[in-house]
Formats: sequence, C-alpha cells, structure tokens
Amino acid sequence: MSERVNNYRGSGIKNSGDNIAVDIKSVSKMYRIYHEKIPSLKNTILTRKRTTYEEFLALDNVSFAVNNGQTFGIIGPNGSGKSTLLKLMAKIFLPTCGEVIVNGSLSALLELGAGFHPDLTGRENIYINSAILGMRKREVDKRFDQIVKFSELEKFIDTPVKNYSSGMYMRLGFSIAINVDPDILLVDEVLAVGDQSFQAKCYKAIYDIMKRGKTIIIVSHDLETISDLCSRAAFLKEGKIVDLGNPIRVVSQYRAYVEELEKKRAEDQQREERKKIFKTVIESNIKVVDGEDIEKLSRLDSEQAIKRFGSGDAMVTDIRLLDENENKLDYCKYGDEVKIALDIKFNRKVEGPIFGIRITDIKDNIVYGTNTRTNNLKTEVYDKDESLRVEFAFKVTIIGGNYYVTPAVGYKDSKTYCDWVNNMLTINVLKNEKAEGIANLNSKITIEKIS
Amino acid sequence: MIANIRKLFSYRELIVSLTKKELKVKYRGSVLGFLWSLLNPILTMLVYSFVFSIVLRAGIKEFAIFLICALLPFNFLSNSVNYGAGSIIANSNLVNKIYFPREIIPLSIVFANFFNFLFELVALFIVLTVLGYKFYLFLYVLPVAIFIQFFLVVGMTLLVSAINVYFRDLQHLITIIMMVWFFGTPIIYPLEMVPERFQFIIKINPMTIYTAYYRNIFYYVKYPEGAGFPGIPETLIALGITLLVFFVGYFVFKKLEPRFAEEI
Repeated sequence: MSERVNNYRGSGIKNSGDNIAVDIKSVSKMYRIYHEKIPSLKNTILTRKRTTYEEFLALDNVSFAVNNGQTFGIIGPNGSGKSTLLKLMAKIFLPTCGEVIVNGSLSALLELGAGFHPDLTGRENIYINSAILGMRKREVDKRFDQIVKFSELEKFIDTPVKNYSSGMYMRLGFSIAINVDPDILLVDEVLAVGDQSFQAKCYKAIYDIMKRGKTIIIVSHDLETISDLCSRAAFLKEGKIVDLGNPIRVVSQYRAYVEELEKKRAEDQQREERKKIFKTVIESNIKVVDGEDIEKLSRLDSEQAIKRFGSGDAMVTDIRLLDENENKLDYCKYGDEVKIALDIKFNRKVEGPIFGIRITDIKDNIVYGTNTRTNNLKTEVYDKDESLRVEFAFKVTIIGGNYYVTPAVGYKDSKTYCDWVNNMLTINVLKNEKAEGIANLNSKITIEKIS
Repeated sequence: MIANIRKLFSYRELIVSLTKKELKVKYRGSVLGFLWSLLNPILTMLVYSFVFSIVLRAGIKEFAIFLICALLPFNFLSNSVNYGAGSIIANSNLVNKIYFPREIIPLSIVFANFFNFLFELVALFIVLTVLGYKFYLFLYVLPVAIFIQFFLVVGMTLLVSAINVYFRDLQHLITIIMMVWFFGTPIIYPLEMVPERFQFIIKINPMTIYTAYYRNIFYYVKYPEGAGFPGIPETLIALGITLLVFFVGYFVFKKLEPRFAEEI
C-alpha cells in the first residue's frame, strides 16, 4: 500500500520538471460494476467469491501534464471520464495503472458543501468544512469574515444549514472552498452557483486565483468558460484524449463532435417519426378503402398526435423535405434552400382547391403558414385519379429544433377540407449557436462610440 | 505506519473538528442535550440494580457501584464499535468528494465516545466521593488501563468500519456480537461466579482483564496486592490480544481504504 500512495507524493518528483503541477502518466482506471449493488456476507461465504461484476474502463492510458500557473480545461461528453480524472488527481481514487504526480497542495471543488451537517449552523459548518479541505483553525479565524461576506449570508450564519435554501447552501460551500487557497484547484462544474450577480462574483474569484499564479483545472460543459478561462484544454472521449492543446481548437473539435452526434440523433428521430406517420396514414387509408364513411375518418384519432380529417376527395399521400436538387433531407440547417413537397391524389373531381402547409414548433406555436390562395395562385379543376405534386420552396430562417409540418387540401370556400394531416412531417433544424428563439432575424450588430 | 501517524498528526485539526461535530450533533435538538450521556448509564444502572439486587438477590454489596465501574468502560467500547461500523458509509458524501485519511472518520467517533467516557468518569468520581469510596488511592493505575483499552477500541472500530463498507451485513451482526461480548465480560456478575471450566474462556477476553482493573480501582479499592486477579500473566495476554486487534484493525483498514470511494 505504501508504495502506491507514495507514487502520489515524493517519489515521482525527480522525474518531472520543476514547472509541472500535475503530471498524469499513462493512467488507466478500471471500475467494477457489480451486478448486485450491496454484497452480503452470506453470499460471499456461500459462493466463496464476491458478487459478479463487469469491468469498465473509465480512463484508457491517458497522459498529460499541467504546468504551474496554468488554467487547464477538460471537456467531453457525459461518461467520458472527466470526473474520474479529477478524482484521481484529488487522490479519492487510485489509478489501476500508471501514476498521478501532484506537486503542491491541492484542493478539489467536486461538490459544494460536501460534508455540511444539516443540524449545525453556518458558522460551525465553515469551521468543519474548512478543516476537511485542509485549513488550519487559525487561518479560518483570519478569513472567517471574508468567507461570510463573500457568501452574503451574514444574517443567517448562526442558522442551521438545514434551513438554508439550496442557493444559500451552494454559496456558503463556494465561499469556503474559494478561501482555502491551495496551489492547485480542481473545479468540477461548480461555477454556476446562485443568481447572476453571484455567478459573476464566482468567476471573478476564479480569475483572482488565476492572477495569483495558481494552477486551476476545470471540468465543464460550458464551452465558453473553457475557451475564456483556460490556457490549455483537453477533449476527452470514452476515456481517451482526442485532442489536447489550444482551447479554441479543442473546443471547436468538441463542437464538431457534438454536431455530428446531434445529426445522428436527428436522423434516428426522423426515421422513427416517419415510421409512425406512415403507419397512421396507412391505417386511415385502409379505413377509406374499406368503404367506411368519410365522416368517421374526419373524426379519426382526435386525441392522437397525428390528427387527420377531411372529406377525402383529395388525399395527401406523401410529404417530403427536399434540397434544391430534389434529394430527400432528414434535417436542414439555417440558410439552407429547401422545399416541402406534397403528393396529392384526387378521389373525386374537385374545383379550384387550396393547397397549404403550416409549420409549428413542438409547443404547437404556429411558426409559419401559407397556401395557394393567400399567394393568389389559381388552381384548376382536377379529375378523379389525377395526381399532383405541390412544392413549397423557402430558405430556412428558423433556429434549431424540431418543427412539424401540417399539409392540407381545402375546398375553394376555404372553410371545408378534403384532407388535413396534423404534423405529418417532422423537420429537424440543426442548432445554430448564434441566436436563440424561433426566428433568426439575423441582426447586424454595430458598436460605435457616441462621446 | 510512522509516516501515516505523522500524516494523521498533520490532520489533527480535522480530527478535533470532527470529534466536536460528533459530540455536538449527537445531542443537538434534544432538551437535555449532553446530560443524556450521563442519564443513559444511570438509567441502565438503575434497571440492572433493580433486577440483580432486588429481584434476583445476587447478594453483591452496593451492586450499583459494582456495575457502573465496569459498565462505563464497556460502553466506551460498544458505542465506538456500534457507531463506527456505519461511519464510513454514513459519510459517503465526504469520502466520495474530498481526500483525507479515511481513518479520521472512525477515529473521530472513538474520540467522541472517549470524551463521553471521561465525562462519565468525572461524574463517577463525584458519586464515589459522596459515598465515601477511597477510589483515589489507586487512581494512578487508571490512565494506564484507559490507555491500553483505548488501543483495543481503536483496533475494533477500525476493523468493523472498514469491513462494513464491503459487507453491509456486519452492521446488523455487530449489535449481536457486542451483546455476546457484554455478557461474556464480568460486568453484571463477578468473575468468581463463573464455573471454573468456563473461566478460561472469559479470561481470554481482554475486556475481562480491563474490567477487573477498573473494578479494583473503584469498587474493591485494592491494587495490586490482595487483588490476586488480574496477575501479570493475564495482563500480558490481554495486552498481547489488544495489540493484535489494534494492528489487524489498522492494517485491514489501510488495505481496504483505497477502494472505499468506489465501493460506497
């Protein structure tokens, strides 16, 4: 045991340069995932072994070094091993192989207020928590007022923390942690604390620590934080380092990966949706073919997500999203020129019908709607068994998300319908990072001095 | 081990603070607060005194004093072990998030119970003085007895707290084990009452020896001449077993400690 623990401490120092704060040397971490969570003595004695488990490689031969005074960011999807890495640096876990060398005192903000006792007051918890984080009582005495002031909890400091709101709890936790003043600070997703003004204070506190030349290692999903604060970054995926170095580059790599992932998810979702729609369309068509009366069809499935009604004189048989070259699309993104194409089949003669679409968002807000009548497009008289293709071409100016398209064929009185299919098509618009909301108004931003 | 003790020393403020926390939290919110640590043994003493001197008429002179001076040291052991068993799991939020030598958790429980024990002893001194016992005659033996027993308590607590992380059944089992241990120690009966052929088993138990010391100091007020028991050989055996328990407890704890965070 002593040998392994020693790897953390002195023995490795001679191998690393003076300037290195944390050195991760081909570290792997294997977890055991037990099938039965709590092993019992009985089973162990009876079966002569512990409950069965699977091994899971959380970190796979990871190496990098963080220099003194550097702010180092670690990004990656969930389960990529980021937190494991921090816990290895903090000595909470031991690596399965490889070594972790830490030069200098280290404090880990893995969870704010870990170890607070609910029955004790804020004051008592400050002392206990500071001691847990490795502070001397004398130092806490000196910084006590500062900690309380930072947390803005002057009035509640002698109240048991069980009566604190979760925001107050976190604020106190952060204030204690920030005052520990270690050489190396590990931060795991704890920057988003409290309201806007307190968050700003937190960032400022982190900046101050940076300015004092301390080493900070941050794990965050907030890519802005990483590219703003860090001087180096690592992108971790499935326990391996994908990219290491300039944070701007690493963040953009990660963005590309996330976009790829989102595309894939969108395609899957699209496929699912389409399956569902076709099933419903086929079911409702069967009912018509079976000679069921049309009224029944119009009352069909009013509770369902896909609602269809109308006389059935004309039917929308297919709807697709196409690009300019008539290729079918599963998703699109801002700025794309696309078309929504409807296939319409007439079961009876209809004079001057109106063709239209409506686009809604997932909350059923109408984003856009148009039809041939409002566009003053004349339609003709169509005979039984005639088929049409109607296309609506536009440029995508909506912001990322899922949208539904409802096609309709109306009679020329514009009050009754041959066919109306709610949410027949789902359009997936990829996220655009420049704006939020539904519509992209694409504003030009200018700044000029007026004094 | 020396290095580890040095490390623990550097964490002494944490041990102090967690011990204080244990003491504070235990009675926080109860009306009588810290007095409970006195009331508890007093009430136990009253119940046993009633049963043994009035119902069963065991014929032991001043049974209450006879009992209490053996009960207090045993309570120190059993409370530490019982609370210590679940202590690592109860503090999983700490173990999982912050590094510090894990033995601090069970140690702080031992220390908290130790202070309780000292407090009870002071109360006992007052009672003994009022009753006219000359307990102070051999009081110089007391620190030695306490010091040695302390190692036994630390060893046991470390052992069960570490094993309990891996086998949660132990927590339930330990209550029963401590009960057997209680009745296997001459606390509510004198050693002479035990049939000759069983005395050997009872004497192997180090708590028997320590109980005898406490009782010689407080109740019989005779040491070491005239006491007859415990003699040097019995004491050395008890000391040996105590050290064995201590080192086994320590090394088992250190062996299991690195994977605590993953197991809880």
